[in-house]
Amino acid sequence: MKKILILSAFCSSILLASSEVDDLKMQLLQQSEMIKKLTQRLDKLEEEKSPYSESVASSGFDQSMMQGAQTANASFSQNAYLPDIALIINSSAVGRNVDNVDYSSYSTPGFIDADPEKEIPFNPERGFNLNYAEVAMYSAVDPYFDAFAIFHMRAADFEIDEAYVSTRDLPYGLKVKVGKFKSAFGRYNEKHQHAWEFSEQPLVYSGFFGPEGLSDPGVQLQWVAPTDTYLMLGIEAMQGTNEQSFAYAKTNNLYNTYVKSSVDLTDDTSVLAGASYIHGKNLEGNTDIYAADLTVQTQLDSYRSLAWQSEYMYRNREQDIKTGRQDGMYTQLVYDINQNYSMGARYDILMKNNLGDKNLDMYTAMIEYKPFEFSRLRLEYSLDKSKYYGGEQKDVQQLMLELNIAVGAHGAHSY
Amino acid sequence: MKFLLFLMLTLASVYASLNVQTTYTSLGEIAKKVGGDKVRVNVLANAHYDPHFIVPKPSLISKLRRADVLIINGAGLELGWLPPLLKGAHNGKIRPGAKGFIDVSNAIKLQDIPATVSRAFGDVHSQGNPHYMLDPYSVIPAAKFIASKLSTVDEDNAEYYRKNLQKFVNTWRRYLKNLDTKMRLCKEKNVVQYHELFNYFLNRYQYKSYGNIEPLPGVSPSSKHTLALINTIKSKKVNMILQDVYHNQKTAKFIAKKTGTKFVVLPHDVGAVDKADNLENFYNVISNRLCQ
Repeated sequence: MKKILILSAFCSSILLASSEVDDLKMQLLQQSEMIKKLTQRLDKLEEEKSPYSESVASSGFDQSMMQGAQTANASFSQNAYLPDIALIINSSAVGRNVDNVDYSSYSTPGFIDADPEKEIPFNPERGFNLNYAEVAMYSAVDPYFDAFAIFHMRAADFEIDEAYVSTRDLPYGLKVKVGKFKSAFGRYNEKHQHAWEFSEQPLVYSGFFGPEGLSDPGVQLQWVAPTDTYLMLGIEAMQGTNEQSFAYAKTNNLYNTYVKSSVDLTDDTSVLAGASYIHGKNLEGNTDIYAADLTVQTQLDSYRSLAWQSEYMYRNREQDIKTGRQDGMYTQLVYDINQNYSMGARYDILMKNNLGDKNLDMYTAMIEYKPFEFSRLRLEYSLDKSKYYGGEQKDVQQLMLELNIAVGAHGAHSY
Repeated sequence: MKFLLFLMLTLASVYASLNVQTTYTSLGEIAKKVGGDKVRVNVLANAHYDPHFIVPKPSLISKLRRADVLIINGAGLELGWLPPLLKGAHNGKIRPGAKGFIDVSNAIKLQDIPATVSRAFGDVHSQGNPHYMLDPYSVIPAAKFIASKLSTVDEDNAEYYRKNLQKFVNTWRRYLKNLDTKMRLCKEKNVVQYHELFNYFLNRYQYKSYGNIEPLPGVSPSSKHTLALINTIKSKKVNMILQDVYHNQKTAKFIAKKTGTKFVVLPHDVGAVDKADNLENFYNVISNRLCQ
């Protein structure tokens, strides 16, 4: 009896259990049907959804999932912090009426001595030149500093063209730059060769500072005034290693101050003017340089513009035998014809040269073709009447075709 | 004495409002709607010019120098002109990453995101097509984003910005309804364009763009590409050639003449053509000219 009872209880419990399972199964079935219905309704709704729906923030689910997948196996990856890197290559074909051996011994009396060993950094060879390959890097260091460097490489030469740290967040419109940098005085000086409007350096720059312009280790402070009219003041203290004007060698010796201001005459025409005073020491005394620049640019449409730019510099260099008082200037006009073509002409002159005999000048003309923003072919002709050889003035005529490209993360150029 | 006090109060009220700079005019219009009289809005770029290549005049630096807020389109559209200006402005309030730097592209789901990016394909924007303001539906997310960002810069007026936003969004929704109704009547929907400038508007209203006059983004037209495009226009029965205001119109007119297709100049921003003098009229001009 007891056995039967237990057995029946067991059987009934199984039966009961099985009926519970059936219930559950039923519920599941019902639920899955409901889900089916719901998804059908959702699909229908999605189909019916107006095509004119608002686009919303792209913080979608799928995208964040994908980002998760990408970084999952790179827990310590720092790729996102890589600086912007750009490569600039500049090469040229040069035709010149002077052979290469003679050309390096040409001088500019009062400015550049005859020195067969001297380096000519841009377009030295009659024939083909790889002028340089430059690597530029830029990145924010942290919330307080930016870092920027340009490494300038030639066939047998590596140079740190610029490498500096500048502040990001100083108050009152101030900014400090520390490191090796190109002085921001004037117009040509701060720009790298690939951003020049003409491939040849202006005579007054090559005469006063040489091919690299005024570039030294030092510190710079700039202030932009909180005014409607653009007004910028800058002071720089630099080492003063430039051999053509300074090179005191015993200690740092160069101080530079400049002011730049700009007004818009109309919406399309603007004027930028600057003045600078540079004081330093050479081995025999003081060197003072006064400079002024003026740029007028007018925009005819998006791609057509006319820019007239001039710079004047005066130098007083105390020397043992005879103090050098010299000045020089250039004036240039560049016309951007359309998105692809530009043309321009420049006149250079070195005057009042009490160390040389007479005025030295140069005529330059160029036409350039830019198939795209990052490539440029430039045909440039120059007639240089500033060179001497064996005590006699020699005309140097030069025709060159220069190709310049920039790849990678290369920042836009300033005005 | 009273006069001095009055002068100081007026000066104080002028300086109490936020100095807001925007890169383009449509963003400026939205900022004005949301900011009301708590902001002074100035637009940096002239709408007649190519938005990719605005001349970085030094006068723009002095505008950025005193800005409390800078609103940009983003997605690479300002890459060719804004960075050197920002660098020269020495203004920590609006440097990228600061509270006052507002990149509106963050609020928009961009289209045409390229699978691979190389300059061999021309001036391709890696983040996607940056001309999203051509879509009238972008106005609302842009306004919401600007309002929320203004509220973090100027917390005291957050409620004021929220109210302005609500009012503006309601008006804009009504406007969109009317525009949609109007656009439903348009029949001719096959186009070609100079640059992929109008994609957002075209996609919104189911237009089909069969090609561009420029062979690659940022590359000038070539005769080979133009001939191929003429064949496409003929075979696909294209109705309209869409041209912006700042590129040379010679090629587009030549193609229109060869194929008998309509030549249509469309504004790319508020103020690009005379009639597009505010946000509504900007989209009205586009819809009127597309749907003649």
